[in-house]
Amino acid sequence: MLHRNPFSAMSRREMIARMGAGFGSIGLASVLAQGDAHGNQPAASGNLRLSSNSATPLAPKAPHFAPTAKRVIQLFMPGGPSQVDTFDYKPSLEKNAGQRPQIVDRKTLRNTKNGLMPSPFKFKQYGETGKWVSDIFPHVAQEVDELCFVHSMHTDIPEHAGAILMYNLGHLQPSRPSLGSWLTYGLGSDNQNLPGFVAMSPRAQPRGKLANWGNAFLPGAYAGTYVNIASMRPDQILKDLKNSRLSHADQRSQADLLLQLNRMHLERQEKNQQLEAGIQAMEMAFRMQFAVPETFDLSKESKSTLAMYGTSEYAKGCLLARRMIERGVRCVQLSHSIDGYDIAWDTGHGDIKGGHAKLAKACDQGIAALIKDLRLRGLLDETLVIWGGEFGRAPTSEGKNGRDHDHYGFTVWMAGGGVKPGISYGATDEFGCSAVEKRVHVHDLHATILHCMGLDHEKLTYRYSGRDYRLTDVSGNVIRDILV
Amino acid sequence: MEHRISGKKASLFFKLRGVGMFARRILPIFFVWIGFLCCSPSLFADDDSESAGIEFFEKKIRPVLVEKCYNCHSNDAKTVQGGLLLEHRDQFLSGGDSGPVIDLKQPAESLMVESLKWESYEMPPDEKLSAEIIKDFEYWITIGAPWPKSDAAPVIKTNANYDWKKLQSEHWSFRQVAKVAIPKLSDSDWVQNEIDLFILQKLNEHSLTPAAPAKPHELVRRIYFDLIGLPPTPEQVESFTIGFKSNSALTVSELVNDLLESPHYGERWGRHWLDVARYSDGFGGFNDNRAMNDAWRYRDWVVEKLNSDLPFEEFLRTQIAGDLLKDFPDPIPTGFLALGPSYNSDGGDPDSVAQAKSETLDDRVDTLSRGLMGITASCSRCHDHKFDPIPQMDYYSLAGIFNNTSIHDAPLVPPEVVQQYNDFQKRINEKNKAIQKLNQLIKNEKRKATDDETKQLIALKAELEDLRSSSPAKFPTAHALRDSGSSNMKVAIRGNLRKSGSEAPRRFLRIIEGENPQPFTNGSGRLELANAIAKRNNPLTTRVFVNRVWRHHFGEGIVRTPSNFGKLGDVPTHPELLDWIAGRFWENGGSLKSLHRLIMTSATYQMSSDYDDSSFRIDGANQWLWRMNPRRLDVESWRDALLSVTGEIDLKLGGPPTENINSRRRTLYFKVSRGGDRFASDEFLRTFDFPMMRATVAQRPTSIVPQQFLFMLNSEFMSDRAKALADKLQGVSKAVPERILFAYRLLFGRLPTKKELNLGIRFTTMKPNSQSGENDAWRNYCQALLSSNEFLFIN
Repeated sequence: MLHRNPFSAMSRREMIARMGAGFGSIGLASVLAQGDAHGNQPAASGNLRLSSNSATPLAPKAPHFAPTAKRVIQLFMPGGPSQVDTFDYKPSLEKNAGQRPQIVDRKTLRNTKNGLMPSPFKFKQYGETGKWVSDIFPHVAQEVDELCFVHSMHTDIPEHAGAILMYNLGHLQPSRPSLGSWLTYGLGSDNQNLPGFVAMSPRAQPRGKLANWGNAFLPGAYAGTYVNIASMRPDQILKDLKNSRLSHADQRSQADLLLQLNRMHLERQEKNQQLEAGIQAMEMAFRMQFAVPETFDLSKESKSTLAMYGTSEYAKGCLLARRMIERGVRCVQLSHSIDGYDIAWDTGHGDIKGGHAKLAKACDQGIAALIKDLRLRGLLDETLVIWGGEFGRAPTSEGKNGRDHDHYGFTVWMAGGGVKPGISYGATDEFGCSAVEKRVHVHDLHATILHCMGLDHEKLTYRYSGRDYRLTDVSGNVIRDILV
Repeated sequence: MEHRISGKKASLFFKLRGVGMFARRILPIFFVWIGFLCCSPSLFADDDSESAGIEFFEKKIRPVLVEKCYNCHSNDAKTVQGGLLLEHRDQFLSGGDSGPVIDLKQPAESLMVESLKWESYEMPPDEKLSAEIIKDFEYWITIGAPWPKSDAAPVIKTNANYDWKKLQSEHWSFRQVAKVAIPKLSDSDWVQNEIDLFILQKLNEHSLTPAAPAKPHELVRRIYFDLIGLPPTPEQVESFTIGFKSNSALTVSELVNDLLESPHYGERWGRHWLDVARYSDGFGGFNDNRAMNDAWRYRDWVVEKLNSDLPFEEFLRTQIAGDLLKDFPDPIPTGFLALGPSYNSDGGDPDSVAQAKSETLDDRVDTLSRGLMGITASCSRCHDHKFDPIPQMDYYSLAGIFNNTSIHDAPLVPPEVVQQYNDFQKRINEKNKAIQKLNQLIKNEKRKATDDETKQLIALKAELEDLRSSSPAKFPTAHALRDSGSSNMKVAIRGNLRKSGSEAPRRFLRIIEGENPQPFTNGSGRLELANAIAKRNNPLTTRVFVNRVWRHHFGEGIVRTPSNFGKLGDVPTHPELLDWIAGRFWENGGSLKSLHRLIMTSATYQMSSDYDDSSFRIDGANQWLWRMNPRRLDVESWRDALLSVTGEIDLKLGGPPTENINSRRRTLYFKVSRGGDRFASDEFLRTFDFPMMRATVAQRPTSIVPQQFLFMLNSEFMSDRAKALADKLQGVSKAVPERILFAYRLLFGRLPTKKELNLGIRFTTMKPNSQSGENDAWRNYCQALLSSNEFLFIN
């Protein structure tokens, strides 16, 4: 049913006919087709296939080649989780405790000189693949057969800010666009009623803040929208999402008036794409007001689903991530944080045992539930999930029970969207200090993520300041061996 | 030119694709691949026309070259081994110390293949490549070693001898500004000044005709927004319209002159300049998060100097080296560079420290070179520029100047005043210390103060209070540059400051100065740099500036890449006009106001923006200017216009910024963080395409996103403006049509059409759904008018 409208439906149709093939009409056509301005259906039916035009920056765009993943969920662990206490099992640490073999005698940030420290956690084998996982990730351990571990990661520097930016932007300074911005720039979004790229974290934003989901020199439409999942208030998610003054019907009449005014203006200004795009964007804004709160309304989830995720703040983020992915959001970056700390996993300096156990507990169940939930809903195949931090931690001790930063070797894992499930790729040395086998730089990881999304990392460029910029700068090789 | 795919060498390659002579000559233009990946343009044609050979090369060969060979055989190699570079096809053919590495006639016998098989040399030395990869190389040589490259964007041969004289004459922007003859055209009624002759000449050449003159109400709105960023009142529209009908030329020039005398002119054009200066109030986020609380002093300086029409040469010189001027040193203008990002490292890791420093220096070089001269010198930070004649050495010649420059808070009062303040502070500190010392003594001895001590404390505290109350207030300061040294930098190999190459003497760019520029010896060399940039015979500076001014009047520049006049930038659509204007600009003593007069009194500027189907078919991008480009207002003008039409705007000039978006002050006075995420004002500005102030801004994008409409439909700011406008209309008349007429004159400078009038009447008399009075319908109506495209665009 058409909403109440001071002008007849006829005049609206007439208007569309008059606007001819301009793409401004498509947005309106879709509004009419949806019948109601509450058009917030999930991705499949809410799609607007629009011509790619700079004026409609988030319209879906064709990838360079057939993708194996359509969407990305990045589970970001700022602060640097320790590889040897989570997924990179090194029994040799036990045997050589206290020693400092030459291969681990490398400069770390605080340049500790201590010997090897065995993990305070027990490891067990899980799944058909028999993957060794630490006790602090019991839920994720149940999903190991879905996961593709890359144990041979390395990055440029052992400092948080720079390494975090490297991990999210491919650059040590905050002057480049983020991964999610590149993805929405390259592919647009499948849902025009929600932001194409959402970054979330509970309470604290990861160090570097905005830069981690920023668009830098890309057009503003590709900036990530940040949501603090501690509050979950839709009006805090997008500025000015709600109208505090008008009823829905009054607002609709007002929007229709504005549409009429702009149409008359457009008639005098033929061939002005900006004006046409404006008409479309206004309709999107109108729909967003309803689509965004709906997405954030977890009350519609079944009890069993809610129970599967658990109650931690991070788990809530995981569930939200699934709801967004379901609705066609291109990229979700969910950063971990507890106690309002912007580099949560850095509690490893003084106390691996207490710090890491607490952090893992706060995210383990939610992450496992997300993998499972995506699989059960048939979404895992087209969603690429990436778990990891900006670097790892040294196998030697810092102080009595801690570990210093280790940028020579660390672990990330991926799942879904075209990566081989149940494999471990590359390796650190015997003690887990440095990546030695099939080394993978963060640039390579980025190249691989883009590849899964159907983008050639060397061709996804943006001309700025006299040169063509890329996410991977001058580096990056797709890790072909982990691809299905 | 390094390599031409032609003749026998490439015949196989083209046979493979079965294309003929046409493709041989044309296709390479698309298949440009230049050197290493960093600066490679994505000029690849679409997949259809990309040849199988090229694809094979890109997929199988190039990745191996990059990964396995370029550490030793590229210009980025620390030391090039065996004199062999493998970055271009002809380098394979000419080879290194051991001769050619590929033999197109006997591929299997190529030195390259032998080396890969570890039969002659053993390459790569640390690990033999797989048999499969070696076969790929053999195949690649067999099919003629296809390589995507052409003559289209000739590569500067790195490490080569630059022939500066030749290079200066080869590219249009490096040539001296020419003395141009004004085109001689048969009399045309349309022409109003020389600009029109240049424009008309090109229009004629392309069978285009200029659009009709703009209607007076459109033109007057255009002139107001262009010069002062504020809309005309209905009375101003009316008086202009009346004058225009009797003597259009006189009326326009009078209005232009009047507005150029308005203090709001400097605010409007100052903002354009602040984009070039990537002006912010600091807060760049992690590693660059310093507050720049005095930034506004630089902003006010810019506004003031534009208002007083400071000659352009001085305008630039003072911004680069105002602190070093002999007669009237002024630190404030050096905020131009001092307000930029200054990165640091958060953990002191040496690589990270070096990176931070290198990034900071890059900001200075980039802002100067791209912002003032339209050259992308930043590209030479890691290697010689691949397209423009800017060797890496020249980058470090400039960076070295800023390596000897530091940022400080410069006092804006005489040294005596500073001294007096510091003396007081010193004495306050002393008193504080004395009190602390005594308290500590008592605490350490775990006892109560003796009577004597108590008396002493009371006396000390009284003295302290005395000092505090009589101390003069902190003197004002400005973020400014000062010299901190006088030494040369070394070229940083691959941009890594921890790997030094040869010394780069501080001096100006060789593409401007020729083979042997005068070394800079005076302190950091900044003043000498300022002179070299601002001098009249620097062909880049003037062209870049007048092109920016042109762009702000027409929506597009004569050169459409306003910060890139290098080989990868656009060429001017009207090169003679650009040079003629540049020449005229200097004849007028570098007066920006004269430049506005010149441009705005042309018939070209006064054309309407009406659409014309046949012209559009010939020149859809309007590069020959057959009409005025319709433009969207920038966020500042739009918000200022909203506050103007409701009569609420506070037109106070200058002073510290505000982050309150409901402030009535002009948008220029909003607080801006470099990170873009600090203030409410940032969020508002960014929604409407205010760019990130991390680097000099070439041009603002105009994106159209739903968030802009959420702001228009739902924000408190818009709702308040709507209310103010509705109240104003209520006061005008009781009659509905008269109110609507008034609103259209106020907002759009015209009367509504009958249709628009009826639409307004119906809307404002319709019964609202919710319980609300008459005013609400008017308020909703006003909000729609204020949100409309007609209000947001200028014709």
